[in-house]
Amino acid sequence: MVYTKRTVWPLIIGIIMVGYAYLVQSGQLAPAIKLLGTGRYAGEMLTLGYAFGGVAIAAGLWHLIAAPREGHADYYFSTIAGVMFIMLVAFVVKWGLDPLMANWGRDAQPTLGFNFASVMNLNYVVMGILAGIIVVNVFKVPAWAENGVRLSRLGLKTGVILLGALYSFAELAQLGKLSVLLIGVFVLGSVWLVLIIGSQRNLPNSMTGVLSAGVGVCGVSAAVAAAPVVQAKSLEIAYTIGTILLFGVLCMFLFPIVGKSLGMGYIQFGAWAGTGILNSAQVAGAALAFQPGGIETLKVAEIFNITRVLFLPIIVVWLAIWYVRREQAAQRQVQKVDAMQVVISKFPIFVLGFILMFLLSSTGIFAPARHYQGAYFDNSDKMLKRVDKRSGKEINNYLKDSDLATLTKELERVKREDQRSALQRLIDGKKVVSEADDDTLRGVVNAKILSKEGNAILTRAHRAVRHTAQKIAMFRDLIAWFFTFGLVGLGMQITMSSIRQAGGQPLVIGSIVGVIKAIGSLIVVMLLVAETI
Amino acid sequence: MEDKFDRGSALTIFPSDRHEDLMALVLSFVIAALVYFLV
Repeated sequence: MVYTKRTVWPLIIGIIMVGYAYLVQSGQLAPAIKLLGTGRYAGEMLTLGYAFGGVAIAAGLWHLIAAPREGHADYYFSTIAGVMFIMLVAFVVKWGLDPLMANWGRDAQPTLGFNFASVMNLNYVVMGILAGIIVVNVFKVPAWAENGVRLSRLGLKTGVILLGALYSFAELAQLGKLSVLLIGVFVLGSVWLVLIIGSQRNLPNSMTGVLSAGVGVCGVSAAVAAAPVVQAKSLEIAYTIGTILLFGVLCMFLFPIVGKSLGMGYIQFGAWAGTGILNSAQVAGAALAFQPGGIETLKVAEIFNITRVLFLPIIVVWLAIWYVRREQAAQRQVQKVDAMQVVISKFPIFVLGFILMFLLSSTGIFAPARHYQGAYFDNSDKMLKRVDKRSGKEINNYLKDSDLATLTKELERVKREDQRSALQRLIDGKKVVSEADDDTLRGVVNAKILSKEGNAILTRAHRAVRHTAQKIAMFRDLIAWFFTFGLVGLGMQITMSSIRQAGGQPLVIGSIVGVIKAIGSLIVVMLLVAETI
Repeated sequence: MEDKFDRGSALTIFPSDRHEDLMALVLSFVIAALVYFLV
């Protein structure tokens, strides 16, 4: 079988990509970039536009000129055209639809009262899958691109492995025993519940398995990590992601209302949101809605939220054994399942890769070992007063006398004792003196207690001591691209007929378990987490 | 979609999940090395 099809399209895609990069470089797209607020992507628009465009043009010439014969060269080279096809859609998603939705969400906020783009999580994850689904159902994947679309899962797996670089042991060290216990019970409990209900409602084992990981752990990475061990189809992964996001929208609105009506404290609400809400972005949204004037709730919620990642390998092992047993039972095979054998043969090596990358990141080779997702606190003199490598100018980030005068004048406005003390220490030290003070002062900014000028000074002081590791920032960009690529390709494997075939069962089961998890965790948090701020 | 390909499966070009995992692993660590040395 020969996979390379004679077509001009890869060449056209290449010309479009290079042309786009050229227009960005020459400044002709500046108004559009300004309108969309994508100026920060200008660098990658050039690099990726020229790089992928060049590859696509070369592949296009290969498709036109070469007379391929059956073999490895034909098989592997023919994937390039499909990869470029996905990348073109990914460019539209990442530089067009994603920022466009973010803008519309912000514009509609005064009318709607909420930012629909952030509430509905209309970012590149959702837009990528939707774009893929639209392409396959409206236009169909062209024959010359079909082989390359089969590389999308490789993209997702690579993204999951790289995700390990964003975490470090230092962050996990902050976790209390309670968060690990609470999360453990609810993660494992949710997985178990989905497996039970899914089996009772005769959902395919693959769908039940991937849904249980998604509902139990959280989001895209869990669904992707569990999918191979239960042999889940693209549609089933997309369904799981859709269920989590839709349920999360409901939670984002309801959790803060319930929390306030029950008079929950910040730690209590943070623990509840971090346990009960399934998607990380929506956890943050609910925490900020509950406590707009501070970030104590957000910090607790984030810690609870990332604890779930710890359980990912355990869940994958569990699902591998569960799936083999279920499949054997369906085929009426009676031999005993050797758990160790199943783990050795089924455990996805890329999940192991995620752990390896996490260990590597914990050594501090990509960022100071205490970093969390690349961000770290450093208020040492050498960070505050240094010479800029590019411009050669001296940078002094200590607060100036005029700043100190403004803050001293506005000190009276701050009523909360801890916030006022933190502000006083900032004035005395001319810099944020500790990580705890930094968190407290961010709360002062969020609460808009000070004047515009006062808030600007606090924000400057915060930026002076909070640093983002360049390497981790690069990993974050790469992960976003691998996920966009993978999710667009995943969407391209989902046809309307397969959606009709699957029906609405996953959404029903996911929601039932989500509600049980939310209510259960609420009760446990109210009973066990007593301390409030 | 399965009939369209005589190698791999409908979801992947690789002969098995393990091959795909290993490829993702190699790719990730090559990228990590590039980030480490170049950024």
